[in-house]
Amino acid sequence: MIEVSRLKKYFGNIRAVDDISFSVKDGERFILLGTSGSGKTTTLKMLNRLIEPDEGTVTIDGKRHDDQPVELLRRQMGYVLQNTGLFPHYTIEENISIVPDLLGWDKDKTKKRIAELLIKFHLPPETYMALYPVQLSGGQQQRVGFARALVANPPILLMDEPLGALDPVTRQQIKGEFKKLNELKGKTIILVTHDISEAIELGNRICVMDGGKIQQTGSAQELLLHPKNEFVKHFFSHNHFLLQLNAFHLADITSYLQETSSPGKISELNPASTLMEVVGELSSFATAKDGIVFHDEKADKFFRIDMVSLFTAVQQKLNPGQ
Amino acid sequence: MMETMNEFFKFVNQESDKLLQQALVHSGLTFLSLFIAILVSVPLGILISRRRKLSGTVLGIAGILQTIPSIALLGFMIPLLGIGARPAIVALFLYALLPIIRNTYTGIVGVDANVKEAAMAMGMTDWQILWKVELPLAFPVILAGIRTATVITVGVATLAAYIAAGGLGEFIFGGIALNNSAMILAGAIPAALLALFFDFLLSRLQHVRIKKIKRVLVTGCILFVAISSLYFVPSVFGSKLLAGFPPEFMGRNDGFPALKNRYHLKINTVVIGQALLYDALKEKQIDVISGYSTEGRIKAFHLKILQDDKHIFPPYFAAPLVREDILKSYPELQSTLNLLSGKINDSLMTEMNYRVDYLHESPGEVAKDFLEKKGLYQNPRNGHKGTVRIGSKIFTEQYILAEMYKMLIEGYTDLNVTQRTGLGGTQICFGALTNNQIDLYPEYTGTGLQVILSTPQRVVDSLGGNENEVYNYVKSEFKKQFNIEWLKPIGFNNTYAVMMRQHQSERLGITTISRLVNYLSKK
Repeated sequence: MIEVSRLKKYFGNIRAVDDISFSVKDGERFILLGTSGSGKTTTLKMLNRLIEPDEGTVTIDGKRHDDQPVELLRRQMGYVLQNTGLFPHYTIEENISIVPDLLGWDKDKTKKRIAELLIKFHLPPETYMALYPVQLSGGQQQRVGFARALVANPPILLMDEPLGALDPVTRQQIKGEFKKLNELKGKTIILVTHDISEAIELGNRICVMDGGKIQQTGSAQELLLHPKNEFVKHFFSHNHFLLQLNAFHLADITSYLQETSSPGKISELNPASTLMEVVGELSSFATAKDGIVFHDEKADKFFRIDMVSLFTAVQQKLNPGQ
Repeated sequence: MMETMNEFFKFVNQESDKLLQQALVHSGLTFLSLFIAILVSVPLGILISRRRKLSGTVLGIAGILQTIPSIALLGFMIPLLGIGARPAIVALFLYALLPIIRNTYTGIVGVDANVKEAAMAMGMTDWQILWKVELPLAFPVILAGIRTATVITVGVATLAAYIAAGGLGEFIFGGIALNNSAMILAGAIPAALLALFFDFLLSRLQHVRIKKIKRVLVTGCILFVAISSLYFVPSVFGSKLLAGFPPEFMGRNDGFPALKNRYHLKINTVVIGQALLYDALKEKQIDVISGYSTEGRIKAFHLKILQDDKHIFPPYFAAPLVREDILKSYPELQSTLNLLSGKINDSLMTEMNYRVDYLHESPGEVAKDFLEKKGLYQNPRNGHKGTVRIGSKIFTEQYILAEMYKMLIEGYTDLNVTQRTGLGGTQICFGALTNNQIDLYPEYTGTGLQVILSTPQRVVDSLGGNENEVYNYVKSEFKKQFNIEWLKPIGFNNTYAVMMRQHQSERLGITTISRLVNYLSKK
C-alpha cells in the first residue's frame, strides 16, 4: 500500500505538483496519465526520491519513505526509464546484476536469475549476456531495462513512459508481453504515460493529471462514462469509441446481447475479453457475417455477437437516451 | 640543410651522455608536474561538476593561469621558490591544470543523464555512481585532457632550463645563444619526440576497458611515479660545489669548454638564465657562476671575481658597431660616436650598472649624469636631417650605452634617433644590424671574435688575448665580411669572469680559478 498525501513540488514559480493525494493498493497497476508538463513524471520521481518533495508525505506500508537511507529505499523499487538508462560500458549481464550486487547477492544466484529472466524476455542468455547495449535493438534494450528492474524481485515497480521511445510494432509486442508476463503478477506498478489507450490497456486504475493537480482517479470505465469535469471529458473525447472498446469487456454488454440455444462453433472469447479483442475476432469474413458465439460460464449461457449487435450494445450501454 | 643535419647527428653523437641525461630530467620534470596536476585537477573537476556554481570561478582561474606567458610564470616563481626543480614543477603544474580540470568537468557533466538517473534509481550511492558510472564514462574525455596537458608540459618544460631545472631546454637555449642550429635541434627534436611518445603511451590507456578504471589508475600511478623519479637520476652524482652557467657560456669556446680544457675544471653544472644568475648565487642556490666583469651586482651582492690566472678569457672591449653605409651618409656620425672613446673604465661602468640595477635609476638619467660630468652633454638640436636607429642587447650596460649615444647624436648632429633596445642576444642584435633594421649597437671585441666570426682557435691563440690585436683583427674582418665598422673602444673590458660569494671564497681560500680547480679535485 502506497499512500501519497498532500505532495507538493515547485520549480521556481511553477507548481509542478500541487498538493496531490492518492493511494495505490498492493498488486494494483496504477497509471499516471497526462500531457507533458502535467506533473506526472515529477510525481513518480518523488516516490523513489529522485526528486525530493517540497511538502507532503509518501508512506509505503505505513512507513514514511524518507525515514530510511534513500539508497535502501530505491533498491526495493524497480525503475524503468523511457530511454532504458542502460550503462553503455557494462555488458547486458553486468547491467542486470547491478542491483543484486548492491544487495550482496551470491554470484551464482545472480547469474541463474538473470538467465531465467532473459529467457522470459526472449533474449537467449548464451547470446545476449556478454553483449553491450549498443549491440541490441531498441526493443531488446527496453526488455533488458525491464529485466534489470525486475531482477531482485522488488514488490514495487516504477515506470516512466517505458514504451515511449519504441516504434509502434515493437511497442505492441512489448505491451503484449507486459500483460502476460507472470513476473509482473502481484506487483504494485505505477506507470507514467501520455498515451491514453496504453493507460486503458495496462492499468487497473488511472489517475488523470493536469497542471500539477489530479483531475480524476478511477477505472477506465469510470473515466469514460462519468468524467468529473470538462478537462477529463475533453481528454478522452478523441477516438472515444476506440477507447471504449479497450476499456469495456464482454461482461459489460452481455445483458444487451441475444442468448442463443444452438451455439454451433464456440469461440475462445469469454466475458473478461475486451471489446477490442471481440472486434479483432469479428474482423474476418467468416465471422463478420454470422457473428460469433461465446460462453458465459457464470450464467452458463451462450450468447451470439456480431458487428451490428456489438455496436448497438455499446451505444445502449454507454450513451443511453441517445 | 643537409649540412645542418650532418652537424646535428655529429652533435648528438658527441653529446649523447648529456642528451640522455637531459631527456631523463625532462621526462621526470614533465611527469612529476603532471602527476601532481592530475591529483589536484581530477578531484577539482569532480567537485565543480557537483557544485556547478563554482565551475566558472575555478575554470576562470585556471584559464588565467594558462594565459600567463610561461617565461613570466617562471619569473614569478623565483622570488617565492628560488631556482631549480621546485619552481619549474610548480609552474608546469599550473599550466597542466586547465586542460585536465576542464576535461574532467566536461566529461562528467557529459555523462548521459538517463544513465545517471538509472544509477541513482537502482540505489547506487553517490560514491558508487562516481566510480562505477561517471568516471568510467568520462574517462576518455579526462584522458584526452591529460594528453593535452602532457604535450603542453613537455613543451613548456624546455623553459625550465632557464631557471636551472635542466632538461632539453639547455641545448635549445645554448643553441639560440650561440646560433648553433645543430644544438637547437638536439634539444628540440628529442623534446618533440618525447611529446609524441608520451602522447602515444597515454593513448594506449584509451583502449583499456574503461570499466576497469581502478586497474587503469593503479597502472597509471606506477607509470607516473616511475617516470617522475627519472628526474632524480642525474643528481645522484654530485661535486662539492655547484656551478650555474648561462646557455651561451656553456657552449662557446671561450666559456665553459675553455674552463674544462685549459683549467681541467670538473664541477657539476646547471644551466640558468643570464638574468637569474647573480640572484641564484647570492641566495646560495649555486656556488660558482660566470658573469661579466662590469656587472653592477658584483658590488651589490658582495661577489668575488676569481682571477683568470691562465688568461683564457679574451678581451671584451666595448665599441660601437656601425653600418658603413650610414657612416657614409652622415660622416658627422663617426666623430660624434667617438666622443665616448676611452671615457669609461671598468669601475665607472660597474658603478653605472649598479645605479640602474640597484638604486633603480633609469638608464637615461645615469647616462645624462655621466655625460654632464664629463662635459659632453649638449641639449638636443631637434634636427630633421635623418634618422639613426640604435639597438642594444637585453642588459643594463647596453641600455645605458644606447642612451648615451642617443644623447650624443641628438646633441651634436642634426640627426634624430630611434631606439630598438632589448634585442635578445648577440645573434639577434647582429642580425638586426646586417638586415638593416638598426644602424648601430655597442658590441664587445671578444664577442665579435668568438661568436660572430667563429674564429678558429688557432687564430684566436695567435692573437694571444692581446686587446689591440683582437680589436684590429675584428675591425678588418668585419669590414671585409659585413661592411660593418668597429669605431674606437669605449674603454672598459666587460669580459667573462668566474665568481663566487665573497664570504665563501674567503672561507675556502679560493681566489683564482686554479685554486677552485684544486679545491674541487681534493677528496
